[in-house]
Amino acid sequence: MANKTDDKTLNILLFLCNWGAHAAFLTLQDQLRPIPHEIRMVRVPCAGRIDRAMLLKAFAQGADGVALVGCEPGTCRYGSGSANSLQNTDDVQRILDIMGLGRERLCFGAFLPEESEELLSFLQNFADEINVLGPAGIEAVPVISALNADDLHQELRQLVAAYDIHACQDCGKCTSACPLALIGKPFSPRAIASAVITGGIHSPGVQENVWSCLTCGLCYDRCPSAVNFPAFIKELRHLYRHTALPGQEVHGGFFHSLMRSMSSAAITPRRWGGLPDEIRTDPESPILFFGGCAPYYDIFFGKHSRPQTNKILIDSLRLLNFFDVAPRLLTDERCCGHDLLWSGDKKNFERLARINVERLNGLGIETVITTCPECYMTLHTTYADEGLELKFKVVHLYDFLEEQLDKGAVDFEPFDQVITFQDSCRLGRLEGKVDLPRKLLKRLQPARFVEMKEAAGASICCGNCAWTGCDGYSKALQVRRLEQAHATGSDLLVTSCPKCQLHLACAMEDPFRREQLEIELMDLTSIIAQTIRWKG
Amino acid sequence: MSQPVQQSQTEIIVTGFGGQGIILAGRILGMAASLGDKKESTLVQAYGPESRGGACNAQVIISNTPIHYPYVNTPDILIAMSQAGYDKFVTALADDSVLLIDEDLVRLQQAPCDHFAIPATRMAENLGNKMMANIIMLGFCTAVTGAVSSRAAQVTIADSVPRGTSERNIEAFGKGFDYGLSTLKGRRKVAAGQAGALAS
Repeated sequence: MANKTDDKTLNILLFLCNWGAHAAFLTLQDQLRPIPHEIRMVRVPCAGRIDRAMLLKAFAQGADGVALVGCEPGTCRYGSGSANSLQNTDDVQRILDIMGLGRERLCFGAFLPEESEELLSFLQNFADEINVLGPAGIEAVPVISALNADDLHQELRQLVAAYDIHACQDCGKCTSACPLALIGKPFSPRAIASAVITGGIHSPGVQENVWSCLTCGLCYDRCPSAVNFPAFIKELRHLYRHTALPGQEVHGGFFHSLMRSMSSAAITPRRWGGLPDEIRTDPESPILFFGGCAPYYDIFFGKHSRPQTNKILIDSLRLLNFFDVAPRLLTDERCCGHDLLWSGDKKNFERLARINVERLNGLGIETVITTCPECYMTLHTTYADEGLELKFKVVHLYDFLEEQLDKGAVDFEPFDQVITFQDSCRLGRLEGKVDLPRKLLKRLQPARFVEMKEAAGASICCGNCAWTGCDGYSKALQVRRLEQAHATGSDLLVTSCPKCQLHLACAMEDPFRREQLEIELMDLTSIIAQTIRWKG
Repeated sequence: MSQPVQQSQTEIIVTGFGGQGIILAGRILGMAASLGDKKESTLVQAYGPESRGGACNAQVIISNTPIHYPYVNTPDILIAMSQAGYDKFVTALADDSVLLIDEDLVRLQQAPCDHFAIPATRMAENLGNKMMANIIMLGFCTAVTGAVSSRAAQVTIADSVPRGTSERNIEAFGKGFDYGLSTLKGRRKVAAGQAGALAS
């Protein structure tokens, strides 16, 4: 899909099923019927194989409208294609609504080979509709210039100097702590370090491992020379993008497309629809609650499981209300950009970060509260590191809660479950807030709280961070973590990051071991919201 | 009861073990009222064997008009920081008195009047010094009863506590004060049927 050549012509992408509607389209072409000129057709073996990632990617790369044309349910050559198409269309339409593009920009149609006139009017109507809506507003992805060998060498040298990679003593403490290495993956942080020193970043093992790294920070924690490995990997991924080595984006790059689209100033997301009536918000409040990507997660992963990450946001708002804070919400809230940055897409991250900071600074707010560890780290630390100046302070919800709870007169209802806790790498190791969630956990009244074998500073990652490099080893890692949770005798695994919840729930889907692995998951915020009580 | 006490004369008994700083708490209340809030106040303190470990008490009267008799028969406010002290004075309470207790040290059988509880000693231990429980209790009392103004109490505390500890004592006062405000807020919420964060 090429980006627009001039501003006047819109781009409409048509995915057309080979088996039914394509014949109708050919008839239109043979008879020189007036197919709208905005439409570019891509013939596909089955519309059901155009997954949600591809549909969204079309928009991310400049489409103003996308039509998916396949076969009536029941006439699909492969059986399930039509049902898939309908499901995928519905999911992406809901996502487009929240993104602010609007569901009208994506439509599904089904036509038989002889229904050429019907197809024509369908396409004409769609083109008319898109013309009324106008351009989607997603800017072209900035072209990353390829580096020549000398420049690359230079960049690598700078990287080595900036992160003091020569300080690596080759002691291997990193590898002996690395969760990926311990699960059996041929993965070694120090090997990546020496590959960068010698310039051999293109050797196959190294390249794959850079994308697999969890950036969980355990090696940094253990390194006697304090080589900041997560940050180093972050830069290295950025460098890989320069050398035309694509990242291993999982879920078909769905989330990367989503975030890239967010970096266009012209789109205006429509967040926070459908909040429960009792939630109190105040458009003038000096305190803003920043939600994060949870609504998108719930739609996308709803196909496989029933994630409830958006509930974390609603429970956060309930807790703020509980303490008489009616926060402001940003209806055009964008993504914080964490995953863009950590998957090497620095250009788009910078664009997005600048839009976010300008918007938030312009509101005249004093405080931003967030509950997502990644949003927290990005807003609180990364933006400042990137040289952006924030005119407000960024507070994690747990800090706010701890401060309020410390004032006292609040109780927690006892509940009859044994709980254990999955640390978030971002909040725990990278932001140094290992004790904070534990202070809150200790206030709760469960039957018992038992730490996992590897907990707090030594805690294991949930298996993925920026939607890159998930593989069989990631799954094995998650399974090990779930086994550790079971070994504590707990029946409730408390998480603090929506991604931990998604990834651990995914590992439980293992059809052979489901019963051994299954454990109830709940976010700390939600448990607090459920059991907190005024003493009265 | 949660409103500042309106009547012209407020009679207070602070009771607890000797060594808890009961007398000091009483003295701070009285001094804050007279020096800070420009009212009249008197203090009668128990000393002798009590101040060496037994049940001790301080009787404070705060008034807008001159005080003729300094002893307290029926306290408007009873601050109890020990079981013995509570047991001794509980019978003196009237229906409309306010009772403030350290919830870890006093077990209430059947409170004869409206009561508020705070784990003052535990909070003081968490702050690093058990000796500040009395100051925490003062903060709590100030927030709940409004017997003295917060400002006057803080100024008096700063002048009354040992040199070099005033900052930590003001912090302790703040803790107790916040706890008091939270308690009042919690009462309002519970009364309004909003005890929890989820919609009931």
